[in-house]
Amino acid sequence: MTTLLDPTSERAPGTRERAVRPATLDGATIGLLDITKARGDVFLDRIAERFEAGGHTVLRFAKPTFTKPAPIDLRHEISAKCDVVIEALAD
Amino acid sequence: MHDIVNLEALGVPGVFLASSEFTDAAAAQSAALGADPAVIFVPHPIQDRTDTEMRDLADDAFAAIMTAIVSPVTEQ
Amino acid sequence: MLPDGLVAIVKRDCPTCVLVGPVLAELRDRSQSAVTIYSQDDPTFPEATGGSIDDRDLNVSFALDLDTVPTLIRVENGQEVARTVGWSRDHWAELTGIGELGVGLTDHRPGCGSRTQDPAITAARSTKEGERHLQARRVELGTEEDEAEAMYERGWSDGLPVVAPTAARVVRMLTGTTRAPEDIVAIIPPDLVECTVEKIAINAVMAGCRPEYLPVVLAAVEAACTDEFNMHGLLATTWFSGPVIVVNGPITKAIGMNSGINALGPGNRANATIGRALQLVIRNVGGGRPGDVDRATLGQPGKYTCCFAEHEDACWEPMHVERGFRAEQNTVTLFAGEGVRGMVDQLSRTPESLTRSFAACLRTTAHPKLPIAFDAMIIITPDHLRVYEEAGWSKARFRDELGALLQIDGHEMVRGASGIEEGIPEALAEITLPKFRDGGLLIAHAGGAAGLFSGIMGGWASGSVGSESVSREVRI
Repeated sequence: MTTLLDPTSERAPGTRERAVRPATLDGATIGLLDITKARGDVFLDRIAERFEAGGHTVLRFAKPTFTKPAPIDLRHEISAKCDVVIEALAD
Repeated sequence: MHDIVNLEALGVPGVFLASSEFTDAAAAQSAALGADPAVIFVPHPIQDRTDTEMRDLADDAFAAIMTAIVSPVTEQ
Repeated sequence: MLPDGLVAIVKRDCPTCVLVGPVLAELRDRSQSAVTIYSQDDPTFPEATGGSIDDRDLNVSFALDLDTVPTLIRVENGQEVARTVGWSRDHWAELTGIGELGVGLTDHRPGCGSRTQDPAITAARSTKEGERHLQARRVELGTEEDEAEAMYERGWSDGLPVVAPTAARVVRMLTGTTRAPEDIVAIIPPDLVECTVEKIAINAVMAGCRPEYLPVVLAAVEAACTDEFNMHGLLATTWFSGPVIVVNGPITKAIGMNSGINALGPGNRANATIGRALQLVIRNVGGGRPGDVDRATLGQPGKYTCCFAEHEDACWEPMHVERGFRAEQNTVTLFAGEGVRGMVDQLSRTPESLTRSFAACLRTTAHPKLPIAFDAMIIITPDHLRVYEEAGWSKARFRDELGALLQIDGHEMVRGASGIEEGIPEALAEITLPKFRDGGLLIAHAGGAAGLFSGIMGGWASGSVGSESVSREVRI
């Protein structure tokens, strides 16, 4: 395990920070990323219904396989088209 | 987990959903990536649930999902 | 605390220790005192005594300040009262009170060097000591994280890769200064953070500095964070300028800086990394990031790094001497500079003509119709300086002559003149104004021996809203 010394003023937390969340989902496009394990699609179908019922735009994506991280172009597509992403469903 | 961490690094807030069996693996993968992504756990099992049960799990998780992807309201 | 009685420290890799192994066993038999044996390299040695206490981490040996093995010590009430090194029947008899030890052995034999004297070991140990005293927060990278990516992802980079600041590297960097790591060097804007020598060392490692560059970086940070230099304003401005470091004094040669060909370009580690370290300190410690507090409209590549040394063995006094330092003092001078422009003059053989070239080109820094408000720096190269040297013009004369040529008629500069709306207020039309305020023009000498081109670097706003160039002595 590599340990480094913090070069900053240490006023921010030391771990990699999460991306800034939007204040509201109004007008946001919501990406649903299916890792393609069994039953995850039913789960995400329901999540999609709930968001669409709230008037949100939902885009669906699926990984080719759950055994590897998503391919780069899929990640780029999601980041270009979506404001937030929900990935499901690992077990 | 890697996907959410990568997407967060690209500036897309994300949340990962997994069964409660995944708790230790989630912690280990987060540590290995040096990140702290938002993770929501749903009760195990998953594979043999009926469609109705899956939809209920989704409904139960929905509030937590909203909290994870929207910034908290601060007092003015 | 040492155990009372006799204490011996040995190592297997020492013929004299091998020799006295049986003697130590004999001492155990014959002496009333306890005999405690430590081994520096192998606890199964000596076989004659059934092994020894493991001191492979050398904690006991270092505590006893050994230089030789075997060392035999007599301890009474927890205190050392006598010691002898190597093998000598007489000395061992005197120390132990037991005569005729080691019958059949030679009378005496010198010992070998203790492992605590091994330079690699002492270096590693002092690194471990140094590491324990580092105060910066430790950041654990995930096992799957790539080291280079991890630093980008934490926002520590200026866009180019940085060297991972491990504790060992930071300890090594700190050997470049006699200053204490916890000394506060400056308050860094914009977050107004108290910045220690250690924090600067961490960023200097990331920049790629060698330890001997650290004193220059420390002086640069100190100079940049003065009120007069106004680093905060310089960060926040939409203008192009960034901190430019001119280094003077014997240190430039000592650390291998470049004042010649490509002095402002790439290829020299000291030039490249000293300037970069300053910028990393400002962004990482001070919190001054582009797009955030740094609002430069365009910026310029010199904001990655801009640091060079002056040629000092020339006919004109170097910048630091002009600014009141002695030639043998080491200094940094911080200037809020844009990128460098070139000035061609391949035909002027007289100082008068060349000075007119300089004046014509300097007229246009920032804008030809804006006097006084912006500073500048000339970097005169050897081929151009030769014109002045051959004519016997001092630096002071050059300044005077140039200054006279840069007195500009207000009419030329008022708003609307020459069909250009930019300019000075109409009310100043009748006045003659200097292009540069007093102290607003710096002159440095650097560059390769061939090339009838000098450099002109525009500055930033002068005075209380802008920046004053600042010099500081470099303290090792």
